[in-house]
Amino acid sequence: MITRRAFLTGSISVTMLGSPIFSAFAEKRKKRNLVVISLRGGMDGLSAVPPIDRALEKFRPDVIVKNTLPLTSDFSLHPSLKNFHSAWKQGNAAIVHAASIPYTERSHFEGQDLMESGGHKPFAEYTGWLGRGMETAGLDGLAIALPMPLILRSKANLDNYYPTKLSTPSPEIMKRVSATYPQNSNLKSTIERVMMRPYSTLSGRGSRKAHRLAGTAAKALAMPDGPRVAVFDINGFDTHAAQGGSNGEHGDKLYNLDKIFGKLRENLGTSFNDTLIVTLTEFGRKIEQNGGNGTEHGYGTAVLLMGGLVKEAKVFSDWPGLKRKNMFEGQDLQATIDARSIYCSSMAMAFDTDFEKLKRQVFWNDPLVNLQDKLFGI
Amino acid sequence: MNNIGINIANIFIMKKNFFRKVGFGIGPNEQVPVNPIEWAQSQVDKVPPLVWGESVRTGEEMLNYYAEWVYTDREILRKRHKSNRKAYVEAKNKLRIKVGERYFDNLEICIRHNTAINSGAPVFERLWLFWCNHFAIIDKDFMPEFTTGPYHRETIRTNICGSFETLLKKATLGWSMIHNLDNSESIGPHSEWGKNRRMKGKLATVNENHARELLELHTVSPAAKYTQEDVVQLSYIMAGWEHRHTKKRKECNPVRFNKKKHEPGNHKVLGKNYKQRGLSPKNKLLDLLKDLAAHPETRRFISFKLCRHFITDRPTEEMITPIIAAWEKSNGHLPTIHKALLKVVYYYADKEEKFQNPEIWMLQMVHMVGGSWPLRVDEMKYNFKIKPSRHQRKPHFFMKEIGYDPYRPIQPNGFSDMELDWISPELLIRRMSAPKEIAKRNIILKDFGSMIDKNFDNPEEMKNLINKVKSSSTKMQLLFPSYRMLKS
Repeated sequence: MITRRAFLTGSISVTMLGSPIFSAFAEKRKKRNLVVISLRGGMDGLSAVPPIDRALEKFRPDVIVKNTLPLTSDFSLHPSLKNFHSAWKQGNAAIVHAASIPYTERSHFEGQDLMESGGHKPFAEYTGWLGRGMETAGLDGLAIALPMPLILRSKANLDNYYPTKLSTPSPEIMKRVSATYPQNSNLKSTIERVMMRPYSTLSGRGSRKAHRLAGTAAKALAMPDGPRVAVFDINGFDTHAAQGGSNGEHGDKLYNLDKIFGKLRENLGTSFNDTLIVTLTEFGRKIEQNGGNGTEHGYGTAVLLMGGLVKEAKVFSDWPGLKRKNMFEGQDLQATIDARSIYCSSMAMAFDTDFEKLKRQVFWNDPLVNLQDKLFGI
Repeated sequence: MNNIGINIANIFIMKKNFFRKVGFGIGPNEQVPVNPIEWAQSQVDKVPPLVWGESVRTGEEMLNYYAEWVYTDREILRKRHKSNRKAYVEAKNKLRIKVGERYFDNLEICIRHNTAINSGAPVFERLWLFWCNHFAIIDKDFMPEFTTGPYHRETIRTNICGSFETLLKKATLGWSMIHNLDNSESIGPHSEWGKNRRMKGKLATVNENHARELLELHTVSPAAKYTQEDVVQLSYIMAGWEHRHTKKRKECNPVRFNKKKHEPGNHKVLGKNYKQRGLSPKNKLLDLLKDLAAHPETRRFISFKLCRHFITDRPTEEMITPIIAAWEKSNGHLPTIHKALLKVVYYYADKEEKFQNPEIWMLQMVHMVGGSWPLRVDEMKYNFKIKPSRHQRKPHFFMKEIGYDPYRPIQPNGFSDMELDWISPELLIRRMSAPKEIAKRNIILKDFGSMIDKNFDNPEEMKNLINKVKSSSTKMQLLFPSYRMLKS
């Protein structure tokens, strides 16, 4: 369930796209999976992947992350991200730092609209970049969500799946209801889709908990004729207060994220090698902490990449540094990379579709950079 | 279209779906109205009172709860528990209980649904729901919990029996829309505050959200071919309309006009120059709203939307023409416009089918079987001392479950009116699951046959569907997701 409220509740949903999970047809192309994890509320890149820089301690004496995991000589990793770290050690994880979608106004509602639509003006687009990308690549979709999340919306009609807590009627009732729908109608084809599913996916359906859905999603992604795209949604990164350092609110959210990384990896099996997991957020957080030991809305942040399709364990960045004069508006980590370049490159690689074509049809031919050679090893 | 006269002979055979097209169908204790158009038109002249067994909190009171919630959280709890996150979460949960943060939108759904079904003017209620969605408030901050319900009740409901211009002004300048679309953040670059900020090296700009949606969604639509420059100029005109932001109440202060943030000078929007008359520049926006309300593209766009909501996904020129004419003739008098609409809907009742969204469909089901929905006043008693019960949180749970959380549209264009957006495997499963939930509570209806006779033009087909079925629950599971019930 995608909701924009309750950034503090830490609720989660998952969405999957690709070829229909409940019907079988063989993919002709080599199947590569793309998983996008939306970190709602504004993920603090300086907490997830802190630069090794004394200046940071000066700006954030009470929210500094200790006991970090080692990455490079310049960056370390939040200790909650253990699964990510183990993938890093095997060359299966990378980071793009000081990146952001091109949005600097600090509103969650605008920012989340834009991170999903990929557009320039809040609320101006009614479709999402992933939906348009899948449409461009000619892929069918299945969303694991009840209302279609904006990021996946496109002109195409998508299949969906989301466990209900209501009881589903018997197949006999469905059959009789179905008989009232005209042939060749949208209703008819939809109910037929429902009735083709194993009844176990309709009745007494299971948990909506993050890691459970992640496990289910990963198993489906691992199937040769399963979906190829999944989208997860984690709320709660809006840590204005008691953000904490190694422990604390932000650490907990990163732990939730890492749990999903772990569940995906575990359940993907060998398909992990053909998978790219990438994170998305509306903005980073201010460099300086606030009076409540939290951080305010900022700009530049880190994008985490994980999976066998990642080229090498590396932090990609045109690092702007933490000097006041290099900050955005004198207070934020500057974003030196348009995060949409990462997403466009990710789709080009995972959907085996021309980067330029995606750039044109999904991102209005904005000056995005093709990062495929740098980020992915195929 | 010239022969919309009432054909008495047809009434009992044809067009019974009209009562679902513009209402919630015919309930167990109701008779089929003899003159449908008269029945419908008589409901739109005055605002029926809310139907809830006890007094309903005003928007002002609700804003106080909101203020207490945000102030206590941001200014007290965050600071008091800055090094102890567990204590913070605990204190915050206590605060939730104290201000009703988990309670109020359940209560609002109850007031909304009880009123819709029981006010005695279902047609008015359907129009109310339409206008709430036209001036949609998206899920932002804690508006769904505290203020969107009151906005629907006070700003929209009380203003749909007057002129569109008044409704537009109330919606545009009300706290909800000003906050929802960030107009308080606008600072005219040449305003007093703008100049001061720039002297300090800070930015002073306008936030275009409200201006853009005012044109695109609330009035003229892109068909008016406005430009980005129009949007910017309109944002200048709107700069200064704000809710104050104070330490004690945060954003929860009434809307005012702050001249110090207003962009001085004249502004050209859609080819017309807006100038200050008199001492205050307030009139610039009021003049402009008046013009937008009377703009031919506004008439056309909203007439189109009305037809799309009540008749078909694809309204024709023929459908919208009489509504536009009524709008023009009456200078945007909403009851006149609504009456013209109702006549057109009746004319097309046996020609067009409309797929109903989950909320309207659910209310129709409840009304047609005399179901016990929503929860009663005594079930919704809340003492602000212990968490609302699971049962009391059911209204919101149920609405989320069927895919229509009425106070949480995600974009300012509101909930879709298009069939395509409401048909998916999961949403269809919900339509098959929801009837059993309603059947779990008491229903008045005993004789399903008579309900079918009153509501459908093809009763035999519907009766066959429940032939030999004994339980009311199963009958409902078969009837309500069926084709003729989903579409009306």
